Amino acid sequence: MITGMERLVAAINGGVSDRIPVFCNLIDQGAKELGMPLKEYYADGAHVAEAQLRMRERYGHDNVWSLFYVGKEAELLGCRKIRYAEDGPPNVEDYVIKVYDDIAVLRIPTDLNAHPAFREELKCLQILKREVGGKYPICAYVTSTMTLPALLMGMDKWLELLLCGPPDLRDALLTKCHEFFVKEMTAYRDAGADVLVYSNPFGSTDTVSMNYFHDHSLPWIERDIKAVGTAGIVYYCGTSRFNRVIDSVLKRTGIGVYYLSPLDDLVEGKKIIAGRGLTCGVINDMKLIDWTREEIRAEVRRLIEAGMPGGKFLFGTGVMPYQIPEENIRTMLEAAYEYGSYEKQGS
Amino acid sequence: MLEQIIKSYNEAIFDTDREQALHVIHSAITQGVSPEDVIFKIVIPAIEQMVKSISEDFDANLAQHFMTAQIAAEVTEEMLAHFSKPPQVIGRVVIGTAEGDLHSLGKRIVMGCLKAQMIEVTDLGVNVPAERFVAEAVAHGARVIGISAMMAHTARGENGCLRVRQLLQERGLEGKIKIIVGGAPFRFDHELYRTVQADAWAEDGISAGKIITDLIREVQP
Ligand code: B12
Repeated sequence: MITGMERLVAAINGGVSDRIPVFCNLIDQGAKELGMPLKEYYADGAHVAEAQLRMRERYGHDNVWSLFYVGKEAELLGCRKIRYAEDGPPNVEDYVIKVYDDIAVLRIPTDLNAHPAFREELKCLQILKREVGGKYPICAYVTSTMTLPALLMGMDKWLELLLCGPPDLRDALLTKCHEFFVKEMTAYRDAGADVLVYSNPFGSTDTVSMNYFHDHSLPWIERDIKAVGTAGIVYYCGTSRFNRVIDSVLKRTGIGVYYLSPLDDLVEGKKIIAGRGLTCGVINDMKLIDWTREEIRAEVRRLIEAGMPGGKFLFGTGVMPYQIPEENIRTMLEAAYEYGSYEKQGS
Repeated sequence: MLEQIIKSYNEAIFDTDREQALHVIHSAITQGVSPEDVIFKIVIPAIEQMVKSISEDFDANLAQHFMTAQIAAEVTEEMLAHFSKPPQVIGRVVIGTAEGDLHSLGKRIVMGCLKAQMIEVTDLGVNVPAERFVAEAVAHGARVIGISAMMAHTARGENGCLRVRQLLQERGLEGKIKIIVGGAPFRFDHELYRTVQADAWAEDGISAGKIITDLIREVQP
């Protein structure tokens, strides 16, 4: 039987397998899978691993996740309060940086592996590696240097510091965030993660202007990637658009996988990448909550027909909202397997 | 002279150059432009210009929205203190983020743009229960309730906009108070505002100012 890893590797190398790789990012849905409240679910890495494995078996997609919730990164940096919801992702409730003076005392843990907040993630990764390592890509999520401050002080205060604040303070914070970024990336790789989603909304032209991107975002992207290498790295801007910067990112960093925004023009994105990397076409999963079966199938078909010709293509989702009915998840995936099949096309 | 000032101010806003924008305003004052003219002939037209460019398919980014709002709010506050008589308020609005949601940036941008347009805004903060939205709207005589939500569950949840609608209905306030929503889920699904029973939505903070002004006019007695 062909594995998810084989599909992914074939796609990256411009080859074919039975079908295109399909990534379905089910995160909070794991709690539903195990029939427990989200807070209880996220308290134990074994829960997350088990649910990831079960959901992958049941739905047949090609990836599993070690991500609990993004706020974990803030916990690793001192956040003590996470707000849980019954029907959505946990969020940072208390900011580590409340006033500018907190930046100077922000401490980057020396050894992430020894950090209690990292323990459960490591446990999860261990199980995933043992069960599906090498067969199904294990994904990890890492917030970029430029975006991490948003988790530590809120988007609001970060944008203010970035655009109007003292540059030395801004740079001091970014330097610390970069140090953390490198440690986190290294820890995930060491623990067996293969696909490292580099999440960088500040590398999107929906967030900053082109000039700002070139003057500030790109240099930090370069620094991040130079420090950790490009292996397994996926460029992702939190579903914000980034077609206009793909060429620069590619040339300056060598990152080989681009997880486009559902709001980006996929055909244009693929044209810009021009065979130099893997294009990931991403469905607007917010709409999956209400779309009918026909609408879902039509949209999956549209994306795959736009992205699949010429190969080097993956079909994926954003962070799937908890509200998407199971039936719709199935419909989307079945359509992706069908339209993304190479066998049917006889190639 | 005014034309040149407007042009330089607009350019500074566009480049998200706060210092330059403030410099333009301060030198205008030195040249004898009245605080009233700064607001009504420079700041508000600059926002209107931005709304126009956006509707003509110019893609403003988040940083530009943020800076436009930030600078407009700062200048307005400074100028209001020097107005010869208190300005006429167009209407009142309360704004907050939906229950369970802690994302405050969208609300802040919208507020900045509203202030400059002589709309009185009350900030209810983050994680605001539906009951409070309605109670505060009544207490402040607000014509519009603004609800920001950045996640699917807070945008669509039963304790969010849907509940605000229900409360307005129960209290017979629907003719007097309108609901406007905004945030990421609405940008990814343009029909979602109907699903959650809001009266309107806005794609960005600058357009929000215009849409809210229109809503106020609709219900203003
Ligand atoms: C930046 C970002 C992040 C950053 C910063 C997060 C933070 N602390 O704020 C990072 C990378 C850390 C992050 C993390 C997460 N994120 Co995030 N993130 C984004 C992104 C790219 C932008 C969101 C944002 O802050 N925008 C700033 C606001 C101000 O911009 P805006 O929406 O353009 O605002 C304008 C309009 O909406 C309007 N507006 C806003 N409010 C209002 C109100 C009214 C009344 C009106 C009229 C108008 C209006 O005016 C604004 C100004 O122009 C979006 C995707 C996207 N493209 O929008 C995802 C997104 C919001 N994130 C999402 C998720 C799920 C998360 C996480 C929960 C993931 C997880 N499982 O942990 C975490 C939560 C982290 C936490 N807080 O604990 C989802 C939410 C959808 C869902 N599935 O529920 C999104 C939509 C991405 C996706 N499609 O998957 N995220």
